[in-house]
Amino acid sequence: MAPFGSLHILVLAAAGFCLTALAVLVVRSFSFGRRDYLSAPRGYAGNGIIYAFGRGMLDKESVARHRPTMLGGALYHLAIFAGLGYVLWLAIPVRLSPPLWAFRPVLLVGAVVGLSLFIKRAAKPHLRRLSCPDDFFANLFVDLFLVLALLHAYVPALEPALMAVSILLFVYIPLGKIRHCFFFFYTRLVFGLHFGRRGALPGTSRREA
Amino acid sequence: MTKRDPYQEKLENLTEADIDKILAEFRRRFKAADVAAVHTCIRCGLCADACHYYLTNGELEDVPAYKLNLVLGVFKRHFTTMGKIAGRWTGAKKLDKALVREWVDVLFGRCSGCGRCTANCTSGIAIHALIRAARGALAAAGLVPPELQSTVLTAVEQGNNMGIPRDEWLETLAWIEEELQAETGDPRARIPVDAKGARFLYTVNPREPKFFPLSLLAAAKMFYAAKESWTFSSDRYDVTNYGLYSGDDAHAGILSERLVKATEDLGAEILVLGECGHGFASTRWEAPQWLNRRFPFPVKSVLEVAAEYLREERIRLDPSKNTKPLTLHDPCNLVRLGGIVEEQRYLLKNAVVDFREMTPNRQTNYCCGGGGGQLSMTRYAKRRLAAGRIKADQIRETAAKVVVAPCHNCIDQLTELSKEYKLGTEVKTVIEIVAEAIVLPKNSP
Repeated sequence: MAPFGSLHILVLAAAGFCLTALAVLVVRSFSFGRRDYLSAPRGYAGNGIIYAFGRGMLDKESVARHRPTMLGGALYHLAIFAGLGYVLWLAIPVRLSPPLWAFRPVLLVGAVVGLSLFIKRAAKPHLRRLSCPDDFFANLFVDLFLVLALLHAYVPALEPALMAVSILLFVYIPLGKIRHCFFFFYTRLVFGLHFGRRGALPGTSRREA
Repeated sequence: MTKRDPYQEKLENLTEADIDKILAEFRRRFKAADVAAVHTCIRCGLCADACHYYLTNGELEDVPAYKLNLVLGVFKRHFTTMGKIAGRWTGAKKLDKALVREWVDVLFGRCSGCGRCTANCTSGIAIHALIRAARGALAAAGLVPPELQSTVLTAVEQGNNMGIPRDEWLETLAWIEEELQAETGDPRARIPVDAKGARFLYTVNPREPKFFPLSLLAAAKMFYAAKESWTFSSDRYDVTNYGLYSGDDAHAGILSERLVKATEDLGAEILVLGECGHGFASTRWEAPQWLNRRFPFPVKSVLEVAAEYLREERIRLDPSKNTKPLTLHDPCNLVRLGGIVEEQRYLLKNAVVDFREMTPNRQTNYCCGGGGGQLSMTRYAKRRLAAGRIKADQIRETAAKVVVAPCHNCIDQLTELSKEYKLGTEVKTVIEIVAEAIVLPKNSP
């Protein structure tokens, strides 16, 4: 493991910037005001939120019709979070080495799936036309990060390169599309709350006939 | 010579002032959750197969993510820092005249607001609600398609969206009362109008008195059998609210306020909404937001009331009165967006011999294509009927002879689909089926 140096400090600073910038975006979002729910509920909002983050993630037609994409997307995101954890593990001044046996397969799968999703976006005409440059760039940038993290798990000498890409990635997260990794949770929460209180999601109605 | 279309001319001659109005209203409509959606959509395109327009037409403009990003892109460009700095990079879109025209065509002409995309969005973005917000912004500049806008204005100015004069409404009720007396054999059977202190005020789609008066009779028969205390209002009975479709909250609020005031003036305990999907979603869920207040009385669907009657044995049903194979259409605003899912099934399973579910059903059922104001926007009629093919296929697969829909907009569309796709089906409301199966109390004279 490389000694704690300036690159490590920069990684932590970039991660700090990332979180701060995301927090600013959240504050700015809330400056638009929250929607009050004035209608009397007919269902349980709490059950709706549980559904939104549980069964509701899988129990839908878009999942059933696109199982490989959904599975790939789930693995990709798991790998990204693992990769970020891996880099932060390296950056913080602890003596323990990361469990490489666990990180290597996750990062490998993530990198392969990430590239597959890029090819899919580029190859399918409607998806390509739906996309903006950031969709392609963010995908490739994260893939580069995963590949470097994976290579580093075998070749520790690549640490400066991994740290440099990680710094750029942390800075880019709140500026581009990757910010969805943060806002996803809020959007999903609102979905569960909104339809849960209406009793419109399975298991949320107060009165099933 | 082609006929002059003032609406098209207006679209061709948009001014900067129009665009400013759209942007101002658009900005006003966005709340925190909507801004979060701007940052959340990843344009994965998995919503495409959820949309009946895309499934039948297959054009990019029909993909919900495309429609959504027409809306979100404008927000990015005008109201976010990155959108202003790096517009093209982030998919931000400057709202110019061409984009306004595309908004109109896509957001009004290729969306029935059914929310199936919302239910299938991997992130749970309320796509249908954001499209409605953009429709509302267009409404602020007077750009709602005129056929839809005239339906809203007729309701605002004349008290109901069909422009039925008060006398005609009261005459229809008098005639239906006679029919009720004949059907029940009870000369004391009444259709109460403006009865103070009744348990509930009942509201209907004006299409019922205009074209389907027997569905008024069906409800009256059920209330009679349940010995209910209820009333119509002589002037505020229209459950529909096309402001939901035009996106115009101000007009939607005026229409909602009317029903709230009628309920309060009559001292009714409950406001009961007839079989109208968007009327239910408007009055039950959206109206308190439009009016910025909580209602002091419960708002219920007539299906909830009927299910309570059956559960409490206030009505008895004989399913042998309905022997034809029957299937049920789930109106989007009532079921997926409204939460009334099982009541209609409970009623039908007790009222018919051969009930067949469509596939898919309940919250995942397909839109018939008649929502979102599509039935009034005749300029998009071809698209509407083409998009209805999915529903027609669903019905055909059940081999049912009767299609039941607790929504008069859906009934109109399903009737057209039956002709267009040669389904040979009758289309009825749930309460009509229940009324046919009702066993009147022995003690009725």
